[in-house]
Amino acid sequence: MRISIQHLTKIFPSRTRGGKAVHAVEDMNIEIPSGGLVGLLGPSGCGKSTTLFMLSGLESPSSGRILFDDQDVTTLAAEKRGVGLVFQNYALYPHMTVQQNIRFPLDNMRIKKEEGNARALDAARLVQIEDLMARKPNELSGGQQQRVAIARALVKMPNVLLLDEPLSNLDARLRLQTREEIKRIQRTTGITTVFVTHDQEEAMSICDTMVVMKLGVVQQVGAPQDIYDDPNNLFVANFLGTPPINIFKGKIAGGKVYIGEEAIADAPWETPFDDQEVFVGIRPEGFIYSENGALTLNVDHIEVMGRDKSVVSTHESSTKPIVRSIIDSDILLPAMSQLKFNIKPNKLFLFSAATEERVQYPVNVFKGRIEGGKVYIGEEAVAETALEDREVYVGIGPDGLMYNENGAFTLQVSGVAEEEGKKVVAAAHENSEKPGVQCFLDGSAELPAETETLKFNIKSNKLSLYDAETKERLSNGRE
Amino acid sequence: MEENNGNAGAIAKAPPKKHNRFAQYFINLGARIKGWFVDMYGAIKDFFYGFTKAGRAEKKARKAEGPQLSRRERLRRGLKTQSGWLFVLPALALMAVFTFYPIIASFVNSFKQGYSGMTGKFNGWGADNFVRVLKGDTGTGGASFTQCLVNTMLLTFISVPLSTLLALLISVALNSIKRIQKAYQTILFLPYLTNALAMGAVFATFFKIIGTSNNTETVGLVNIVLGWFGIKPIDWVGLTSPHWQLGSLSIPWAKYIVTIIYEVWSGLPFKILILFSAMQSINKQYYDAAKVDGASRWTTLWKITAPMIMPQISYLLVTGIMGGMKQYSAIIGLFGTTMGQDYDMGTMVGYLYNYIELGQTGYAYAGSLLLFIIIMIITFFNNKITKKRTTYR
Repeated sequence: MRISIQHLTKIFPSRTRGGKAVHAVEDMNIEIPSGGLVGLLGPSGCGKSTTLFMLSGLESPSSGRILFDDQDVTTLAAEKRGVGLVFQNYALYPHMTVQQNIRFPLDNMRIKKEEGNARALDAARLVQIEDLMARKPNELSGGQQQRVAIARALVKMPNVLLLDEPLSNLDARLRLQTREEIKRIQRTTGITTVFVTHDQEEAMSICDTMVVMKLGVVQQVGAPQDIYDDPNNLFVANFLGTPPINIFKGKIAGGKVYIGEEAIADAPWETPFDDQEVFVGIRPEGFIYSENGALTLNVDHIEVMGRDKSVVSTHESSTKPIVRSIIDSDILLPAMSQLKFNIKPNKLFLFSAATEERVQYPVNVFKGRIEGGKVYIGEEAVAETALEDREVYVGIGPDGLMYNENGAFTLQVSGVAEEEGKKVVAAAHENSEKPGVQCFLDGSAELPAETETLKFNIKSNKLSLYDAETKERLSNGRE
Repeated sequence: MEENNGNAGAIAKAPPKKHNRFAQYFINLGARIKGWFVDMYGAIKDFFYGFTKAGRAEKKARKAEGPQLSRRERLRRGLKTQSGWLFVLPALALMAVFTFYPIIASFVNSFKQGYSGMTGKFNGWGADNFVRVLKGDTGTGGASFTQCLVNTMLLTFISVPLSTLLALLISVALNSIKRIQKAYQTILFLPYLTNALAMGAVFATFFKIIGTSNNTETVGLVNIVLGWFGIKPIDWVGLTSPHWQLGSLSIPWAKYIVTIIYEVWSGLPFKILILFSAMQSINKQYYDAAKVDGASRWTTLWKITAPMIMPQISYLLVTGIMGGMKQYSAIIGLFGTTMGQDYDMGTMVGYLYNYIELGQTGYAYAGSLLLFIIIMIITFFNNKITKKRTTYR
């Protein structure tokens, strides 16, 4: 069953008069494919459980819609939705045996006793508790109770299985085992499953799609690895990964990323040109030891963990008390109070100091050259420069193009769309480094209809040049 | 087959006869009760063995084996181990006077024939008191034991389950409302604060057929209401109250109805208090789970709520039944000290008071002992039944 959540909002009115209403979930939009295993992840109070209870029908949304396949279930009562719900503390009825617990939903559906027993046994077999049918819940271990709860949720063959913090009451070893179990059961039954967790490791290991939430707002949706590799903002980067990402205060200046006085890396192509204060996030596995490394850390101590070792150090710009870097255990580190590291570019993330959003820009990059004080892309001279002749990459921000009939730069247009008062032009160019070229135009810009090519002028402050060989940024004299 | 017929009976022991579950239960029960008595007999025997010649000799021998202690040391040790008695002595003294002595005295005195509470004189020992009490042959025109026993049983076993059930339903209703819950709770609890005799007197007025007020004849409230539906006034509590006669036994059903209504009404507040607070402590998640599992309200009440508060329900049943066995004040309040007409609404405790009043203390002693035995038996079954349903914790 496909689940579609549209503009889902839940507001809890304030308990005290004049108090502030709590926005538990705000404008949530998610599509969950049939048979998907989705994890709602976030810290306490981020609205993930509220979302789950709205899916189950135990809470009713303040606004927005929930669709199961094409049926609108927003106002449908819980018992009519055909959902199975596993509660955080299982909510097994203590006065009933395991069998009675599992059969309870079937009894309510007025299913005959023999059939009910048979189905209860099937469900019990699926979670491997068929030997415990005569026991009472208090005679079971935590893991067994959890299986009973899952069996009870599965026995009515639900369209959707919802799990609220399914592993939080289990000990560490059992948790690992049950993780696999949930995955297995979900794969066997093919039931669309949504589960809630505050444990990012758990979420990453189980689900195929992860929804990261904070204070009722969805931060990012995607495959766990994609979110880890490409976090949208500081919160998501911080929330995912053990040990957690290291965050430094830093800045982008002159195309370089600075932490303190040290330029630790080139600003990625995707960053805009404006110098600004940023948070620099470096994953613990993103450090490479080098005698001439760019970043100097004050080593506190080194923890050896077998497979690798963990350098625990401090840095005055770090926003956390310690900086943790994980190094392969084969690499010999000198016993010094300061060590220097280079940073792997794909483990480095920049976040705006003001908004904490990822500083990332879909810059269009073209192969080009400088010839006689002019910047050429293909055969077109698009800008002027004081630099010497050489092969370059030309970076143009998406908002750096202005439509002009007699413009200097020609693009093959494949489509134009209106979006939030802007015109988004999807285009292509034979020299583009990326498969498509995207540019935003002012909503008032009048474009000729039915054309395959458009001409543009380029704003000089949205253009940047990089050396073709070293990919280092070149000052084009605009500073 | 032939072999079986020929030899089975002779060689193999006959397989133990299979009883149905019910019979088997009582057989097991009998065996267990016998076991208790055997144990008790053993304990008593051991206790008194210490006083026999052989027992004393054995004690002495054991002492001789142990380390020889000085008199002083023995005293010190004795004080150390026995000093606990000093602490319980005040309570023990009070209990001896007000609990143990009366129990033993009533046991002993119940076997004194023609015992007079005033003079302490009696004619001789024997079970005469018991025989006369059970036969109803007291020769004083006092209450009938059988009548009192039947009254007590019927009233208790109708009113206690009824009021518990009502309390359960009211608690569920109270639990499901959200606004002014506290106000309802207070109103429902008010009768608990009212004196039983006063309530009885008010009830009696409600149910009166004819009363006089300012020298005018009036009809009781209940009969007025019944009159609206064209029902003739019934003498609920008076001398002409309708009743069925079963031999010497009278079943004054109208008075029963009044008493049961009274008992239910006065018993409700406490029961609601207990059940409601028990319900409030049930984790809300069970109800959420039941909702997702598609349970109706009715199913939720009987399959979730009731079993969850079974300890409290059984507590109320047990204490309610025990209290019912001892009911007296309500009857006095409703029907006066004569307990209806010729004691036809008498209860067991009423019976005891009645014979103390008549100066026939011997019958009162015998009656109290019988009451004790009956309460013991009922409590025993009570525990049996309720324990079975409350052991899930």
